Amino acid sequence: MLGELGTSSLTVGLLCATLTALLWLRVALFGAPTRPARLATAATLATAAVACGVLEAALLRHDFSVRFVAENGGRRVPLYYTVTSLWSALDGSLLLWLLVLAGYAVLLAGRRHPPRLQAYAMVVVSAVTVFFFALSCFAASPFRAVDPVPPDGPGPNPLLQQHPAMGVHPPLLYVGYIGLVVPFAFALAAPLAGREGRSWLRVARPWTLVAWAALTAGIGLGAWWSYAVLGWGGYWAWDPVENASLLPWLTATAFLHTALGPGARRAGWNLVLACASFVLVLLGTFLTRSGAVASVHAFTESPLGPMLLGFVLLAVVASTILTGWRTPELAGRTASPVLSRNTAVLVNGVLLVTIAAVVLIGTIFPLLSGPLGGVRTSVGPGYYHRTALPLAIVVLLAMGVTPALRVGDRTQALRRLAVPGAVALATVAVVGLLSRPGLPALSAFGTAAFVLTGLAGQLPDRLRRSGRGRLAGLVAHAGIALVAVGVAGSSAYGRDAERTLRTGETLRVADVSVRLVGVDRRGDSGMAVRARLRLSESGDAERAVTPALRYHPARDTAVTVPAIDTGLLRDTYVTLIAVSPDDGSATLRLAVNPLVGLLWAGGALTAAGGLGSALATARRRRRVGTPREGAQPASVAVRAGAAG
Amino acid sequence: MIRPVRRRPRRVPVWPPLVLAVTVAVGVVVAVGLPSGSTSPGGDAGTAGPPVQAPALSGPTLDGGRFDLADAHGHVLLVNVFASWCGPCRDELPLLVDAGRRWSPQGLRLVGLNVRDGSEAVRALLDETGAAGLTVLPDPDGTRAVDWGVRGVPETFVVDRDGRIVDRQRGVVTRQWLEQRVAPLLAG
Amino acid sequence: MRWRPAAGTLVLVALLAAAAAGLARSAAGAGQDDPVRSVTADLRCPACQGESVADSRSPIAAAMRQAVADQVAQGHSRDEVRRWFVQRYGPDVLADPPARGVELLLWAVPALTLLAAGYAARRTLRPRPRRTDDLPAAPPADGPPPGGAARRAWRWSALGLITVVVSVAVAARGLDRPRPDPAPADPVAVAVGLARDLEAQDRYDAAAQMYREALRDRPDDTIRLRLAFALLRAGDATGAGQAAQEVLSHAPDSPDGLLVLGLAQRRTRPAEAPRTLRRFLTVAPEHPAAPEITRLLAAA
Repeated sequence: MLGELGTSSLTVGLLCATLTALLWLRVALFGAPTRPARLATAATLATAAVACGVLEAALLRHDFSVRFVAENGGRRVPLYYTVTSLWSALDGSLLLWLLVLAGYAVLLAGRRHPPRLQAYAMVVVSAVTVFFFALSCFAASPFRAVDPVPPDGPGPNPLLQQHPAMGVHPPLLYVGYIGLVVPFAFALAAPLAGREGRSWLRVARPWTLVAWAALTAGIGLGAWWSYAVLGWGGYWAWDPVENASLLPWLTATAFLHTALGPGARRAGWNLVLACASFVLVLLGTFLTRSGAVASVHAFTESPLGPMLLGFVLLAVVASTILTGWRTPELAGRTASPVLSRNTAVLVNGVLLVTIAAVVLIGTIFPLLSGPLGGVRTSVGPGYYHRTALPLAIVVLLAMGVTPALRVGDRTQALRRLAVPGAVALATVAVVGLLSRPGLPALSAFGTAAFVLTGLAGQLPDRLRRSGRGRLAGLVAHAGIALVAVGVAGSSAYGRDAERTLRTGETLRVADVSVRLVGVDRRGDSGMAVRARLRLSESGDAERAVTPALRYHPARDTAVTVPAIDTGLLRDTYVTLIAVSPDDGSATLRLAVNPLVGLLWAGGALTAAGGLGSALATARRRRRVGTPREGAQPASVAVRAGAAG
Repeated sequence: MIRPVRRRPRRVPVWPPLVLAVTVAVGVVVAVGLPSGSTSPGGDAGTAGPPVQAPALSGPTLDGGRFDLADAHGHVLLVNVFASWCGPCRDELPLLVDAGRRWSPQGLRLVGLNVRDGSEAVRALLDETGAAGLTVLPDPDGTRAVDWGVRGVPETFVVDRDGRIVDRQRGVVTRQWLEQRVAPLLAG
Repeated sequence: MRWRPAAGTLVLVALLAAAAAGLARSAAGAGQDDPVRSVTADLRCPACQGESVADSRSPIAAAMRQAVADQVAQGHSRDEVRRWFVQRYGPDVLADPPARGVELLLWAVPALTLLAAGYAARRTLRPRPRRTDDLPAAPPADGPPPGGAARRAWRWSALGLITVVVSVAVAARGLDRPRPDPAPADPVAVAVGLARDLEAQDRYDAAAQMYREALRDRPDDTIRLRLAFALLRAGDATGAGQAAQEVLSHAPDSPDGLLVLGLAQRRTRPAEAPRTLRRFLTVAPEHPAAPEITRLLAAA
């Protein structure tokens, strides 16, 4: 019953989405009334919501006659993870994708934007919706009936049943991912919408900021999940799935900066970056959802691969044709001075695009090397450390220099940079002489000190000005600098040791030690093993920690549950690797990870800054009033620039 | 002489066609390499590969005897890499032991390589699965398994009568796999 | 106020010197600590997703760490250890394959991107002076496009949209679900083949065993007959008779069934054998075994 309801909601959704696209096209081309188009957009959202709701209901009612539930549901799965299993596998996550996409469409349709620009943008968004509905309807078909109906299902992947972040991380990531469809749609609409097209940047920027903030938070939560669940002690492995979320973030960041100020000066950059961001979202979806890249690790194959690839190509072709041949050539006629914000923004853009190229080629390399006669190997972290990290440090440096480059002469800029520069050099000297973090980490510390001092210097000035939006950009940049410190610190000063301990023995790393008290088995036939440990830090009182190993018979995987003791300056991270059943000895890995907390704090600050900036931009626009085309007051543009 | 008004030649932009060409080229390469094509079916699970000489494998067995791969010359050998902490190993062991018993007249020998495990746990496992008589070589630190290029447990190697690895199965073996890959060697 | 620039310079020089010292000290001391870790960090864990052997918690990775430690202790160089692993696990095991051949892409693509983006940035910063007639060819039109063009655009866009949907539907039908394994060899056929080989080697007991197994998977009269023959030849007349009876209960006129039953009865119940064999002859006078049976009956 539920299955049929779901299937028909997808079919109706496909029809609605197609109708929506056609109606908006009529609005754009013939100036038809918008009301039917808006209604169709809302109907599409409704069908997507019904499809999601039906699948969720089937999961909650353990209706194993529905294929997706039979493959990903389970009677023993806790309620929370039953709810989240909607997005724990491909076909269900496509429905969530549809819901978010249709939601964006409704929001976008409801806004007061220049009418033709909006209509064309809605055509693009609806066309994307049509494709994903078709994908869900024909290829993924999560509602297909299963015969015979199994009595129970395996439950979602055990790794996805470990951490509460599972409920927030994927939806946030999707909000970020899919939100980038809006700048993409406006970039494609701009050349078509005539004079109205010139205002696309101003219209698209708040949307991009929202999407970017969500994407930032999603990536941060993903790293946190990886740290807390995977048990290897790290948070970023340059794995294709992680890279896929990083790629659009890089180009979207570049776009947010090139779109600042009198954006028309960098028209080409804006168009290309806005299109690239969403194309990279699609590419990431292709890479991670088709099993194309992960298949090196024998992941499940999916029949969606070729279709997603085809759509990526279609998107590239469409955006190249639309933006390439019809770029409104409005670039400034005058050359900017070498030391100007314009230069800094462009340098930032060049570097971010290069980092994106590094990550992109590293991620798709296994796909290319096979057919080109090489070995299908994925690229390890070493490559990214050698290429992306130095570039990232230069980006950080540019971030610190840019605020000083306000209009004015060169000496003034130098004077503004004097204190941050001195602090940076002092940091390098002190840290380098006291400890040996290695060159990359040391330069990251120095640059971060440079950035943070510079930002602190701007603080009084920004506080004096009115409006909360003033602070948002500052907060986001400070967050990035903190993340840099966290990354450098945890990789440079992290220490770990691994050993097999008998009861009563002690494993020591730096001033932290753990003593094995005993090993417990719980559940039938040893489904969960727990090591009872006493942890003491620098001679303090001992605390009990209990890392565990959990075996999931339905999926046949063992999952480690690391014990993480989060402190202000450092984490202690204990993983139970193996247990010997003979003598109760346990193999443990003890790691001391300094400054990891800064990562999460920095990520949260960055996301908050992005969101604050979006809110401020939107509020300011409302205050300025409904924008007339091309009539953005210069002061608004400048202030928007300061906020980013 | 009046020169005709020269019309500005329309500049054909360079980069859009370039982007299109690169995209199409990359797309074709990726499409060719897509795993769902018929190029590389089956993935990693069962790779035959060209036969290679099996690495040395000898040492004391769990029950106090000695095993040497070189002595098994002339037999078809199934080397099952397993551990008591691995659930699927537990499941496939009865099947393997049954096959070893059934086909021993045809010259099949079954050896277990027990990776990173404790002897008590293995004995318990063997008793539980009715595999008490199995020849088991303990490999407490797992280095022998690494010498064999083991990627995970369970993994099963087929060594032919000349001591070459002719087949390997990553993951659980099935009756069908045994009959397809092992039985022909015994008949020959 | 002459002292201020001088003091500034002094502080700057002091800071630079101290920072340089810090950098030098830091660069000298990093990364030399643990040869095992430096090797394992560049090996890919074969059982995990994108983790290095150094970081993975899987038992195989732990075993590989041990193997590396052993080899390092024996004085093998980093390259020797890596080669040893490549021999066993293939080049996939290296997390950073050497840059040659296709691997050059990893460096060429970012370099080209940097150059192209840098060029684009330069052009944005220093636009070439334009002549007045170098304005965009078509100034952005205001208002909707004229009727004919709009209708054409409408038609083509609608067509394109439908094409996308249809092609997804067609593609989805084309590759539907992952196909079943390509023609799995029939285990029964394999068992039967193996049993025949055994029969050819005169090992009828073992062959009968194989036939029994095949029967367990597929109760088929042909196999049952072969079992009956094998049992007969192995000397188990009772078993052969039972198998033949079973065949005859499905197909009372099966010539082979009658033949085996008759031959078995010659040993178990000689009185009934001639009747069965005569029936065999009436059912299948052309059977290859018929002359032999005729001879047998005549001799009796």
